[in-house]
Amino acid sequence: MKKIVLLSIAAAGLSLTGGGCATRAHYIQTGGRESIVSVNSINIQDFIQAADAATSDLLASGALDKVSTPPAVLAISRIVNNTGQQIDTDLLVKKIRVALLNSGKAQTTTTLGLDGTAEDPMAKGLQQEAQFKSDQQTTRTPDFTLSGKIIQTVARDGSTSQSTFSFQLSLTDAKSGLAVWEGEKEITKQGGRPSVGF
Amino acid sequence: MKTRIFLPIAGFVLLTLCGCRTSVNSIENAQKEGQRQMISDSRVITDGSLAKKVSFVGINQTMTPGGLLKIQIELLNRKRSLQRFSYQFEWFDASGMLINNVASPTVPAQIEGGESKFISSVAPTPTARDFRVKFLED
Repeated sequence: MKKIVLLSIAAAGLSLTGGGCATRAHYIQTGGRESIVSVNSINIQDFIQAADAATSDLLASGALDKVSTPPAVLAISRIVNNTGQQIDTDLLVKKIRVALLNSGKAQTTTTLGLDGTAEDPMAKGLQQEAQFKSDQQTTRTPDFTLSGKIIQTVARDGSTSQSTFSFQLSLTDAKSGLAVWEGEKEITKQGGRPSVGF
Repeated sequence: MKTRIFLPIAGFVLLTLCGCRTSVNSIENAQKEGQRQMISDSRVITDGSLAKKVSFVGINQTMTPGGLLKIQIELLNRKRSLQRFSYQFEWFDASGMLINNVASPTVPAQIEGGESKFISSVAPTPTARDFRVKFLED
């Protein structure tokens, strides 16, 4: 009898836990406190935080203000992903680009990319056409290039796992080839591994 | 039998309580070279619990070489245990309009017991004149 009662309670508890806690699809603030935090991957709030830190640091450094004809022109170089996950580095870079453009301190070229690949091929074509017609160079050579690396460092102790994501960025003077600003933002997350996987 | 069960539990509780209570000792130069430009502030407290634990010491501001407003806020943990909170900066232009900032994160932060900590932010544009910082307990 006791067994039956106990089993019924256990079954009811399980069904409540499994079914009752299921959340209905709803909107949350991107990068807000309700966002899901995963130890082993970069979440959207991490990209927002890293981009904000890099932008603030870069703007505060005054490196972009040292150009003869402001705003500075920026070309995006290689951003290496050395994490265990596949990520689109534009999740970081685009936020920085938008913030820099809005600040009025820098503009990014979309017709000059790595290995000669333009981000906007149509703009590049029109630019080349304009150059051909006027027989003059209409494009402005970038003042700076932005390169970087995203690195993941993993540590485990028993059932606790920890990941540190390092967002490293360098702003290089295109003329001298010297890094005029460098920034690093580290985000560390720790959590227990679930004992039961679903 | 009861004592056998009670003692390990009491020990565990004691260890847990002791482990959570660590506070920070610090030392600094007495004659300060740098002068902080402190500004007056206006506060809206809706979470008294957080305000009792983590209090605002003061705000100072400066201008960056590029003409951007930089704000620094000093916080103090009045408790002996670590406190977790999140904060978010908002910037406003001369008309009081909120400046849309694509990278405006809710930053998770923590402060050790008795610790004094600075948080800072740089305005996203030279047009930013005012700011507001929101704090939430985690």
